[in-house]
Amino acid sequence: MIQFEQVSKRYEGGHEALSQLSFEVPTGEMAFVTGHSGAGKSTLLKLLGLIERPSHGVITLDGQNLAKVRRGGIPRLRRRIGMVFQDHRLLMERTVFANVELPLMIGGVARAERARRVRAALEKVGLLAYERQLPATLSTGEQQRVGIARAIVARPTLLIADEPTGNLDPQLAVEIMGLFAEFQQVGTTVLIASHDLPLIKRMRKRVIVLDHGRLVADLAAQEVL
Amino acid sequence: MNTSPEYHGPSAQAPRPQRFASWQEHHGWSAAASLRRLAARPLGSLLTIAVMGLALALPLAFYLLLGNVQKLGDAMGQSQAISVFMQTGQSGQATQLLATQLGNRPEVASVAVKSPQQGMEELAKMQGFSGALELLDDNPLPYVVQLQPRTDANAAAVESLVADVRAMRGVELVQDSDSWRKRLEALLGVGNRVVLMLALMLAAAALLVVGNTVRVDIASRSEEIGVLLLVGASDAFVRRPYLYAGIWYGLFSGIFAAALAVVIELGLAAPVAQLSQTYDGKLQVAGLPTWLLLAVPLAAAALGWLGARLVSAWQLRKAA
Repeated sequence: MIQFEQVSKRYEGGHEALSQLSFEVPTGEMAFVTGHSGAGKSTLLKLLGLIERPSHGVITLDGQNLAKVRRGGIPRLRRRIGMVFQDHRLLMERTVFANVELPLMIGGVARAERARRVRAALEKVGLLAYERQLPATLSTGEQQRVGIARAIVARPTLLIADEPTGNLDPQLAVEIMGLFAEFQQVGTTVLIASHDLPLIKRMRKRVIVLDHGRLVADLAAQEVL
Repeated sequence: MNTSPEYHGPSAQAPRPQRFASWQEHHGWSAAASLRRLAARPLGSLLTIAVMGLALALPLAFYLLLGNVQKLGDAMGQSQAISVFMQTGQSGQATQLLATQLGNRPEVASVAVKSPQQGMEELAKMQGFSGALELLDDNPLPYVVQLQPRTDANAAAVESLVADVRAMRGVELVQDSDSWRKRLEALLGVGNRVVLMLALMLAAAALLVVGNTVRVDIASRSEEIGVLLLVGASDAFVRRPYLYAGIWYGLFSGIFAAALAVVIELGLAAPVAQLSQTYDGKLQVAGLPTWLLLAVPLAAAALGWLGARLVSAWQLRKAA
């Protein structure tokens, strides 16, 4: 599903966020990317969504070389990826329903089908009752769940999340992670950047550890204690 | 939180007819949403519309003015008779013959022959001349033929008439409004060109006004645009509401400009009617044609769209 080959990313100004990173994530796997802040976790996810381009190396997604995706092809690529952000990036002046509906609207799904799928996604994250509310009236954890509903509503093959539990209390964080694990169980590839080591250990999934942009450890699920 | 395979599996794109219906729906949404956003900032929107509308009304006003000057010139040209002075010594009979000849020409409305005696009497009536005329032994005035061109004769026909008369035997001098007419027409030609250039410049100004307003719109919504792009929206999808905003700005300012032009036209009606009386009611106010009043809002809407399109292309390239 995901393949990094000798990938480096140097930002303007010379800071090298990733250097010669190589790893693979097979389809249907769930993996964590961890490391101290500034280790390159966010950069790694940004490269997958083509928010940034690598300076060197080849990234392949579902057999497609991302270097060959031109600017005009980026929207189509992003529609195949569900993205969850630490600050959830919701449109605050639109209802919960409208926020979750957005990817379907963009994908050209008919109105009736959209309503059905939005409600199914909201039900899955336990927020069906809030569909008419504005995100600002929801708690942080609930807002994060709206963001997750939006990320999965278009049935992406890959779900990536950047510190999805960063602002949540431990109890909520466990719930959110459980939600991601459920998506993996139905075949979605899931990649989560997180620095919450206790939580990662608890999940017992593969862990990729970065330090100053280099891969320092790659633990299979059964190796995580 | 239950799990079912419902939400998963490969994300197939929606079938074509569904996509088309959804595309139409988004157009409708964009048109309505952009209108709501305009209404949410009434002062700013009205200012943009007013500035753009005034910029578009200005060339219309000049066009109106020019049309009326043209009409006025026509009316004045029509009222001017052409005077043909015969050589001294030409007889009344010869003059009469020439007058009949000219009267048969299609572009001539009427002919009148003035004898030297009549000319003398006219002069005598003018103040200050009677004493001077008594000193003359005999009448030095020639026969004069006065030609009135038909009102619908165009300038070229009148010009060739004058040229023909000048070449006729026994004609000493032809006095007409020809050069005056030519000058007015040249002046109107300059005026037309000025209006055209003014219209182009002010259209460019209107384009910039819309462009800048939409640019500010887009900048104030950069966060929303960023989110849309992250969830896979195409540029076309993102800019759609802004293009509609441009269309609304243009349409409303075009309507405003057309309304202003009509007000100016009505304002001109009374003084022009007064002027018209001095020309025996021959002069009518030159109004703006209906097609122009309808075309202005449409052209302005197109202008608004173009301004929004140019700016959004540039802004989105920056955002992506």
